[in-house]
Amino acid sequence: MAVRAQFENSSDIGVFAKLTNSYCLTALASSSNFYSVFEAELQDVIPVIHTTIAGTRIVGRLTAGNRHGLLVPSTTTDQELQHLRNALPEEVAIRRIEERLSALGNVIACNDYVALVHPDIDRETEEIIADTLKVEVFRQTVASNVLVGSYCALSNQGGLVHPKTSRSEQDELSSLLQVPLVAGTVNRGSDVIGAGLVVNDWCAFTGIDTTATEISVIEATFKLQGQTQSAVINEMRDSLIDNYA
Amino acid sequence: MATALGGFKAIAPVPSASDFVDIALSSTQRKLPTVIHKNFKISRIRNFYMRKVKYCANTIDERIGKILTEFPILENLHPFLMHFLNILYDKEHWKIALGQLNKARHLVDQVAKDYLRLLKFADSLYRAKQLKRAALGRMATILKGQKNALEFLEQVRQHLNRLPAIDPNTRTLIICGFPNVGKSSFMNKVTRADVETAPYPFTTKALHVGHTDYKYLRWQIIDTPGILDHDIKDMNVIEMQSITALAHLRAACMYFMDLSEQCGYTVEAQCKLFQSIQPLFRDKPVIVVFNKVDIARYDDLTDENKAFVDEILAQPGIQSVSSSTITEEGVMSVRDAACDALLAHRVEQKMRGSRIDAVANKLHVAVPKQRDTKDRPAFIPAKALEKKKYDKEDPERIRLERDDEVAMSGLGIFTQDMKSTSTRRFWSIPIQLLIYLAFPPLAENYILDDEEWKYDVMPEFMDGKNVADFFSADIAEQLSKLEEEEERLDGEGFYESGDDEELNSEEEEIADAAAQIVRSKAILKQKSQAKHISRAIIPRKAKNVTLKQFTTGMRDIGLDPKHLERRAAVLGEKDKAAYDAYVKRQEAKEAAEGKAPAADGDVEMQDVAEGPSGSARGVSARGPKTNRQFAGMATDAQATKAALLRKFAVREPNRMARASESDRHIPITRPKWMMSGKRKQGTNDRR
Repeated sequence: MAVRAQFENSSDIGVFAKLTNSYCLTALASSSNFYSVFEAELQDVIPVIHTTIAGTRIVGRLTAGNRHGLLVPSTTTDQELQHLRNALPEEVAIRRIEERLSALGNVIACNDYVALVHPDIDRETEEIIADTLKVEVFRQTVASNVLVGSYCALSNQGGLVHPKTSRSEQDELSSLLQVPLVAGTVNRGSDVIGAGLVVNDWCAFTGIDTTATEISVIEATFKLQGQTQSAVINEMRDSLIDNYA
Repeated sequence: MATALGGFKAIAPVPSASDFVDIALSSTQRKLPTVIHKNFKISRIRNFYMRKVKYCANTIDERIGKILTEFPILENLHPFLMHFLNILYDKEHWKIALGQLNKARHLVDQVAKDYLRLLKFADSLYRAKQLKRAALGRMATILKGQKNALEFLEQVRQHLNRLPAIDPNTRTLIICGFPNVGKSSFMNKVTRADVETAPYPFTTKALHVGHTDYKYLRWQIIDTPGILDHDIKDMNVIEMQSITALAHLRAACMYFMDLSEQCGYTVEAQCKLFQSIQPLFRDKPVIVVFNKVDIARYDDLTDENKAFVDEILAQPGIQSVSSSTITEEGVMSVRDAACDALLAHRVEQKMRGSRIDAVANKLHVAVPKQRDTKDRPAFIPAKALEKKKYDKEDPERIRLERDDEVAMSGLGIFTQDMKSTSTRRFWSIPIQLLIYLAFPPLAENYILDDEEWKYDVMPEFMDGKNVADFFSADIAEQLSKLEEEEERLDGEGFYESGDDEELNSEEEEIADAAAQIVRSKAILKQKSQAKHISRAIIPRKAKNVTLKQFTTGMRDIGLDPKHLERRAAVLGEKDKAAYDAYVKRQEAKEAAEGKAPAADGDVEMQDVAEGPSGSARGVSARGPKTNRQFAGMATDAQATKAALLRKFAVREPNRMARASESDRHIPITRPKWMMSGKRKQGTNDRR
């Protein structure tokens, strides 16, 4: 199911949270409203962890991870690393990587099997990603944007990509990722999907501005609440045409 | 009105004619200078009044211009809005009012132009003033002539502000039909508009707007006043609003019928009305709604009435749905039917347009082509599937951090901190509890092998080393491995960089030059620093120069210092003689003292009297007879002490080259700023 949330009046929740199938990171905030939105859905299923990365709250943009591992940038402090290690399940590997493109969340988009990365990422980093996250790594762009992590959201069941991604590009990406892809928006027409949406295999959290239509596309795309991707071309088609065209 | 009625901007209040005059005149008074004298130059007086006239005309021009731009031009609006405003306020009236204002603006400009021309020839303050008065008066008269136009526009503005925010381009459902058939009741069931309903006709006198959600989309529903079946020329303003909405909005029309005839109109009349407004339904989805089915259904109709109704329903593209707003039977199906019909209609139209190509990629699901045989299943933990949906109202709900926060908010001490968690074990149990409540520990959720470890205090630094650097157990082993590899690589010459160690001659030259530059720069810097000394510079005249230095200097520049040398020798001899005499005297004195030390009071007295003055006397024969430095000093000791104190007192100011009160100082007797330049009246030039 998709739940709307906001972080201190910002609807870009993907900046302040990272959600995977085995853990969830949220930024330290002044109130626990944001944390509790995740807690309500995920408590007792996976750990929801308060953290900062390099003293900042933009944990979602600085980290990349999936069920197998978590990558943090070189600016992460030893204390933060220790905290994360203590709070994460043992089977999740943590790796601090030296990479010039340090906003790992922006340059890496991944699910548990495949990762798309920024074309300019280091070769060593690419290897580390493959080893730590146990994924196949592809250097790709999404709708000619190099920041693949910002412009798409992936799970093992589907993916939402930048609204201007052409059909052929969608097909190509889908074949790489081996999940069905849909082009769409979040937060009332925002194209930074990664910033507006965090998703795993059974739940999704979107920015508070996300419209009902967008939510329904998200639910269909990620097969939440028993929906399937075919809904986008069947039941929702008319609404989408009327909404977009 | 902000975004109301197709989104034209809010209109600022329109002042009444008398207010308008006040605004223009008072702003002229406030914003311009007010002081003028008759003995000023005439050009200045003229300018003063011309400026007033110009400014007043400009103010009026601007204010009218603002009104003219803010009121929309009806022809430029959406046809629905244009006709709607036409019905409410009469297009002609609207145009005339704005036209008159525009004309007034030109008249004011013309008056200003005329009077400015006259003011150029004003020859006294009095005449200029009268001309200004006349100009402003005429402008005020022109404005007063616009009383009706301004009043009308203000009324229109106020009414416009209260109109519902109808967006003519969005998905719209229009409810229409005879008065009293239950249109507004339906509206209240479907939306939250809360329209007034009452069991008499024409309860609704204007268009009302409500919104509803269906199929992830937002739908605008417009409730219209009832229509009677007569010629369009005979329709009143209330009915015409409905007709306009029906005619100009591309919407789904819901024609409400009351088969029970409780509304006071027969089924036949209702069918007739449908037929007569049918032209308005062209190219629109139409749904005939049989309302009040709790009283009478289609099946209850007489054959005659059935025939009338069937005639309507027989037409292509017309659906019928039954509903009752009292039992709420069928209400939602009416809405759904209307929405579906409209959506299908709109989609069909959009599919024909060109914009559909731009959204084609969003209506596409890219299905992956199988590229290998690897299975990539979703990973959903069993717990996630079992988990009960969180419900805020459920008393059994899980406890969230937010609940803790709310519980603690009274104390205002809720906070989380990554580092505050480890200290709590040092406190007694009640305090531990308090701290626990105040600082929900992040460590609480740690997943460690032993629960006990959670709150362990861990040093970050130990023996000057970062503990985190030693997190690995086999760190030494790894390090030695790395070092070995380094050695190996070093041995293999991996790190040896080419032969760029030796410099060639050209590079050496450059390095030399650079070194020279650095040196000479340093010297220059030193010299320049030496120039800026902050202590007092002794003038050459006052410098102590030996005779030899002086004479050599003279000889060097070709002067004969013989005369000086001779005089110096004479003076030297004199001094020597004086000194010898002094020495002799001293010896004699000492000899006398040796004979009778401190026995003779006379000698003592004489000695005291002679002491201070005597010491100075021998220095120069041409000097002052008494040394005033020692005046008032009783004893030698006093004198030396005074000299010492004086020396100390001036040492610091002298060292810093400070001015002190003992310095000679001539104050400025005729400061330039006081003695030269212009004064308020006349000049200070006395020549």
